[in-house]
Amino acid sequence: MLWTEKYRPKNFDEILGNLKAKKEILQWVDEWKDGNPQKCLFLIGPPGTGKTTFANIIANEFSDSIELNASDKRSYDAIMNTVGEASASKTLFGSGLKLIILDEVDGLHGNEDRGGSRAINKIIKDISQPTIMMANDPYSNRIKSFKSKCKVINLRKVHTNSIVSFLKKICVKEGIEFEEHVLRELAKRSRGDLRSAINDLEIMARGEEKITSKDLEIVAKKDERASVFDAARTILKSKNPSRIKGALRQVEADPSLLLEIVTENIPREYEKKEEIEKAYEMVSEADIYLGRAFSTRAYTYWKYAYDLMSVGVALSKEETYKKFARYTNSSVYTILSKSRSKRDLQDRAAGKIAEKLHTSKKVAISQFPYFEVMFQDNEIAYNMMMYFGLEDDEVKLFRSRKVKIPKKKEEKKVKADPKPVKKVSETKKSSAKDIKAKKDPKNEDDEKKSSEKDSSKKEDDPKDKGQTSLFHF
Amino acid sequence: MLNGDLMNGPWVEKYRPSNLDEVVGQDHIVGRLKKYVEEHSMPNLMFTGPAGVGKTTTAIALAKSILGEYWRQNFLELNASDARGIDTVRTNIKHFCRLKAVGAPFRIVFLDEVDNMTKDAQHALRREMEMYTKTASFILSCNYSSKIIDPIQSRCAIFRFAPVKGNKIIERLEFIAESENLKIARSAIESIVYFAEGDLRKAINILQASASTTDEITDESIHEIVSKAKPQDVRKIVRMALNGDFMGARDLLREVMVIQGTSGEDMITQIYQEVSRMSMENLIEDDAYVDLIQSIGEYDFRIREGSNPRIQLEALLTKFLLKAKAD
Repeated sequence: MLWTEKYRPKNFDEILGNLKAKKEILQWVDEWKDGNPQKCLFLIGPPGTGKTTFANIIANEFSDSIELNASDKRSYDAIMNTVGEASASKTLFGSGLKLIILDEVDGLHGNEDRGGSRAINKIIKDISQPTIMMANDPYSNRIKSFKSKCKVINLRKVHTNSIVSFLKKICVKEGIEFEEHVLRELAKRSRGDLRSAINDLEIMARGEEKITSKDLEIVAKKDERASVFDAARTILKSKNPSRIKGALRQVEADPSLLLEIVTENIPREYEKKEEIEKAYEMVSEADIYLGRAFSTRAYTYWKYAYDLMSVGVALSKEETYKKFARYTNSSVYTILSKSRSKRDLQDRAAGKIAEKLHTSKKVAISQFPYFEVMFQDNEIAYNMMMYFGLEDDEVKLFRSRKVKIPKKKEEKKVKADPKPVKKVSETKKSSAKDIKAKKDPKNEDDEKKSSEKDSSKKEDDPKDKGQTSLFHF
Repeated sequence: MLNGDLMNGPWVEKYRPSNLDEVVGQDHIVGRLKKYVEEHSMPNLMFTGPAGVGKTTTAIALAKSILGEYWRQNFLELNASDARGIDTVRTNIKHFCRLKAVGAPFRIVFLDEVDNMTKDAQHALRREMEMYTKTASFILSCNYSSKIIDPIQSRCAIFRFAPVKGNKIIERLEFIAESENLKIARSAIESIVYFAEGDLRKAINILQASASTTDEITDESIHEIVSKAKPQDVRKIVRMALNGDFMGARDLLREVMVIQGTSGEDMITQIYQEVSRMSMENLIEDDAYVDLIQSIGEYDFRIREGSNPRIQLEALLTKFLLKAKAD
């Protein structure tokens, strides 16, 4: 038996989380049993959150049940013939209530299931038997017409911790040795889908005595990545919309990952400027919908994004190419991993600067170019460094040479600064500057940096021009 | 009036107005805020407007005047976009608001860049705002109020900050120049105003950067600073795309954005400036110029609407590619 079945909760007590939903469902069941017909129960939630489990457990509470899911044809007639009859046959069998389960109602197909939603509307209107419906997408247009007439129970994604503990339980029962972080990674990858986490665990662990992080490589990610590439290839190679849509159905990829990989390879496959431009227009529009979906949490927008990034991109080419193009992963990922330490450094500096300037890091970073100019002056650089509390390596973001302690301010700074001032070996030049500064009587008077600056600058500037700045590399 | 201990730091801090009267170029807003100070009470406020127009400055100045001597203890400043998730924000707010104000009529929470919070986080924030109405007032700031959920907007008095007017920027720059004993030509100040586009922070940064390299600031030195402070990469990116090297342009764009962390908004402003420059120097034809401006405007809008800036900018590059001469 598959582990997803073997370990499927058998009663309400075994179900993880979803306390509120549990309570409401129990009440619903009790009411029916007491002879009070209830509205249709509508379980809505992403895959693997327990809809089927709930339905099974509820079914146990009644003497009989009948189920229709997406694999059955669900036209008006088909539904009315199977379910409609049962729903109308009230009390013929005495107290025996027959539970009607309609799974995946958001998957009603426009054409083949013609009239399906009309049938559902009819059934839930004059309800005589306990009825449950299930759907993934709360925003689907297909469920709009009957959602409001039901008792809706929203099931949340399962929390990572709950998934981990569930996986642990299975490992213990199966006698499998495990490392906690492996289970945690599996749980994370499942993104709140308990069923897929259990499936992955089974692939890794069935028949094994032990699982380690190496086993993680066999499951999920690798497969997903590979099929995303297949889908991207079909999109870029084909001009046939139904083929492309078919390929998309094969992958359960995160849309932004697919978008990234399609985008990366557009200019590797397409050769004409106009094709690249048109394809990118599609990508851009797809991305807009992803942004909207993200900010409004209305994931129903994903479908437009998928269509635009697939069929839209595919039809942007005049003819299909017969060549073999080498597809790659997005260079962004490579850049990200290569530049990690650099970005960390920048992030640290930005954090310090942002705090002093009362801004976000983003706004602080936008000011970096100006700091870079200012930091070329040794004294300003020193002052800024002290002001922001920057470390030597952080200063390098703005200036390639080490900052020297300006002679004139040294005594003051030592006192004022709690940090021990690093003794930097002074070059001949800077002591020369100091002497020069002392010679100038004006300097002593107003002790402003404006006059001192020109002397220090004379040394700073010529050197700087030769050096490449670290900020743009 | 100067913030004494900041003498040697960045001028944007040194010359940050410390009271409401000094706030530059937002008179109509300041006038109304002063009423709150007189009444020792204020509703929740929302400051919206572009960068560098004084939202944070005004918030801090207001907090100082309204909270008085103990303003530091009763003022919490949080940056919504940096705080790791809504939980951090909520924990901080909770800890702060649970305590009663000491030495001040109430406490103030200043939350910056609220438009970068997700809708869910904003809903959570809304609840915090309701929960602590008795002990604390909120000042929220954002660039685009359209990105703030309605329930929050309806709980706030909204103040729209406009870009700072040119003559106000000139006044401020002249004041700073005088305080710092700078020699600066009038034409140089006007150049700064031109480049700053109503962003006073930018204007002051340009001024300080210029002052760091020369004693006599001229129009030319401003141009030099602005082009120095503007990474050359954008020019390279545009040039590559116009030469038909799309892949090269795209790679460089990715590097600049990922490694240097340049924001999409900054990139597109720089691209715009580069295209304007090229047109003025007759490096691109007029028709192409107009087409490109249309595209830049459109993609600017898309980025600000909340899509992925890098992908949008890559798409914008293809418009330059179209203008490439056939090889």
